[in-house]
Amino acid sequence: MNKYALILLLLTFSIIRSESNAMHLVKIPSINLYYEPIVTSDSADCVIPFSRAGNLILIKATADTTVGNFILDTGAPNLVLNLTYFRNYVLTNKDAETGGITGATTTAVTNVEKFLMGPVKYYKVEADLVNLGHIENSKGIKILGLLGMQLFKQFEMIIDYEKSVIYLHLISKKERAVYKSEMLKDTSTYTTVPIEMFEGKILTYMYLAGKKLRFIIDTGAESNVLDSRLSNKIFSHFVISRRVLLNGSGARKVEALYGDMKDMKIGNQSFSSFPVLITNLEKMCYSYDTCLDGMLGFDFLSLHKIGFNFATNKMYIWK
Amino acid sequence: MEVIHPMYRIKKLLGFCLATFILLGTVTSIAVAQPPIKKYTIRNGKMYIELSKHINTLSLDSFISHYDLNDLPLKEAIRENSPALFKKLGWKLEINNTDLFVISKPLFGVSNINSPEGKIIFAEKHPTIAERFPAEKEGLFYGYNRFKNKSSFAVNGSAVTFYLKNHAEANHVILAGSFNNWSENSLFMAKTDSGWITHVKLTPGKYWYKFIIDGNWSIDHDNMLNENDGMGNINSVFYKTNYVFNLDGYSDESGTYVAGSFNNWRPTELKMIKSATGWKLPLYLAKGTHTYKFITGGKWIADPKNDERLPDGQNGFNSVVRVGNPYLFKLIGYTTAKQVVLMGSFNRWRKDELFMNRTGNRWELPYTLGPGNYEYRFIVDGKQITDPLNPLFTNSLDKNGNSFLVVDPNFIFRVKGFDNAKTIILAGDFDNWSPYALPMKHESGEWTFNIHLNPGKHLYKFIVDGKWIKDPYNKLWEQNEYGTGNSVVWISN
Repeated sequence: MNKYALILLLLTFSIIRSESNAMHLVKIPSINLYYEPIVTSDSADCVIPFSRAGNLILIKATADTTVGNFILDTGAPNLVLNLTYFRNYVLTNKDAETGGITGATTTAVTNVEKFLMGPVKYYKVEADLVNLGHIENSKGIKILGLLGMQLFKQFEMIIDYEKSVIYLHLISKKERAVYKSEMLKDTSTYTTVPIEMFEGKILTYMYLAGKKLRFIIDTGAESNVLDSRLSNKIFSHFVISRRVLLNGSGARKVEALYGDMKDMKIGNQSFSSFPVLITNLEKMCYSYDTCLDGMLGFDFLSLHKIGFNFATNKMYIWK
Repeated sequence: MEVIHPMYRIKKLLGFCLATFILLGTVTSIAVAQPPIKKYTIRNGKMYIELSKHINTLSLDSFISHYDLNDLPLKEAIRENSPALFKKLGWKLEINNTDLFVISKPLFGVSNINSPEGKIIFAEKHPTIAERFPAEKEGLFYGYNRFKNKSSFAVNGSAVTFYLKNHAEANHVILAGSFNNWSENSLFMAKTDSGWITHVKLTPGKYWYKFIIDGNWSIDHDNMLNENDGMGNINSVFYKTNYVFNLDGYSDESGTYVAGSFNNWRPTELKMIKSATGWKLPLYLAKGTHTYKFITGGKWIADPKNDERLPDGQNGFNSVVRVGNPYLFKLIGYTTAKQVVLMGSFNRWRKDELFMNRTGNRWELPYTLGPGNYEYRFIVDGKQITDPLNPLFTNSLDKNGNSFLVVDPNFIFRVKGFDNAKTIILAGDFDNWSPYALPMKHESGEWTFNIHLNPGKHLYKFIVDGKWIKDPYNKLWEQNEYGTGNSVVWISN
């Protein structure tokens, strides 16, 4: 199983390398190779209700015997467990430093035997063990972990912020090419936008001032984020609304800017004013000349009902 | 007498103009624009702040508050021409001439944005300065109801009549709220000619509720107060009030307000309602001592009907409301002292408010405090001392520290064992991690400390004979900046 997953992953990379000339991958980024968990569901279709911590989606789930709230984080590739509540779990990578404070070199990885989310059951899920204390302190809510993309890869997922529910459909091998939710029958009600999966994250493109910008779709980001290093032409469309001071490394404060970007487009939808938080995203570059230009978070995702089919790599944005 | 050829003068003038033009042109093309420049932009990955030296104070103030730039010494730079201060803050001086001041700074990123937790924290909705320091940050001090299209719910003693207007077509309406654990089948509302009602007995305080109209949960649309519960649900808010402010007369004034320590003395927030005799305002006030004044016809006045007063520090008096039972502060001895003053976190360390009374061989002052942890000192004839009767004190900047008082503790920290330890000190976010303040009591093989903790998460450690340890009986802990870990405790509402 492990061997096949590895081959599959390497194969995927080689396909990305040969097909996507936009990416110019010069090095394969170092990532942990994870097993695919075994997924079953009592019914192929399910509705998962969620609550919110600020603008983050909280889903009740059970990791082995521990029940509580997890944050849906499509910007995280894997399941993440909060070390505080899973401290006695055995590490599967012995060399990892747990609780390293200075950007630990290796993340601690463990196994969850059984993970339950509504009627969906996962067996043998690999999970990162991380201290999520800062998120708890900020939100004032007990957080058991983060639900990363790995848990949703085999699904069609439609997020309805208005109704506070997520519609999941486990796509079987047979229906892989053709499956579409009933909600997608009336094609006049939504736009279809292509997505790509990269490093376990959802990539999509937006357009501004004739430039194509690469974004990840991230339910774990409450604000939309954009790179400060983009061209002056792009920033001529930007109006600063205010500055925020954030904690950098040590006592250093780091600035970021809230504001509105004019005339951004995705698919055939355009936004006269698009709220973004500006920062330097140098750290999110994955090769010498290829960077993510930003993240689309709650401020974008909550505007419309939004859906993803991870089998056909499509995103649906309702009007 | 020297005669200057007119042509020479024109040439000179032209030359000057040209030089100025080139200078301005090279530094910035906008320098000649009117009205006075104030700009905040991004170019080449840097932030640029451009300000005209001729900007007026009001315009500069609004620029600073609009962009939350209070930490930058912009006023000094413009008024006193002291731009050196910016270098320390990482800003580069681009232009500083008689007309224009321009600084820039590269935007740096946060180092851990690649980790999911770093990213979540970075992309959070960062509050504005105004949002970060709300008056009632420490807890809820007061509350009042705001309804539109209908008056506030009728109150008769402890009974509150919840009222839903209209919905005559509904088959059944149920009231659910924090007062009945959001039960969906206990408070059936009765139909009246104008809507639906039901009675609930409530003690003073803050409550959250919703109506269930034919199975559908709905907030009260005639109630202007609603709140997100932090779990994504929006609920209507009702305060069962416990105090009515009354001011007789002044009926000719167009607006009368009450302002006090509970609302940070905001003058025009709490507008009073016309009553038969003058003005009134029912309010929920939390346990504790509150000072207030009325504002009528633009003047601040103490409550003429209330004899309880405290000095306002401006040769006048504030009126006082006390909710709850008083705690008796006492200082034994010091009988020759002329004056003893109490000050503490509860009165914002004012030295001119709480004068203690001498009775026999002691100084006393009863003062009402709500549940919580407080710090205080006595000032004996100008000299500050801690309370000799109170074994608990914190270390603040000077070594004397403040006395520490816990009112209505709601949590007990316990450690078994450590029978040979001389001292165990409790330290945590609730006392600013003081290594002295909270010595635990050793009784029958157990060390304990009673404290008041607000709802939510708290971090703590024990200091056993000077050595910081995590709570050995609590398996919940999280990493800290020293890599030694802090114990975690959650207090539920």
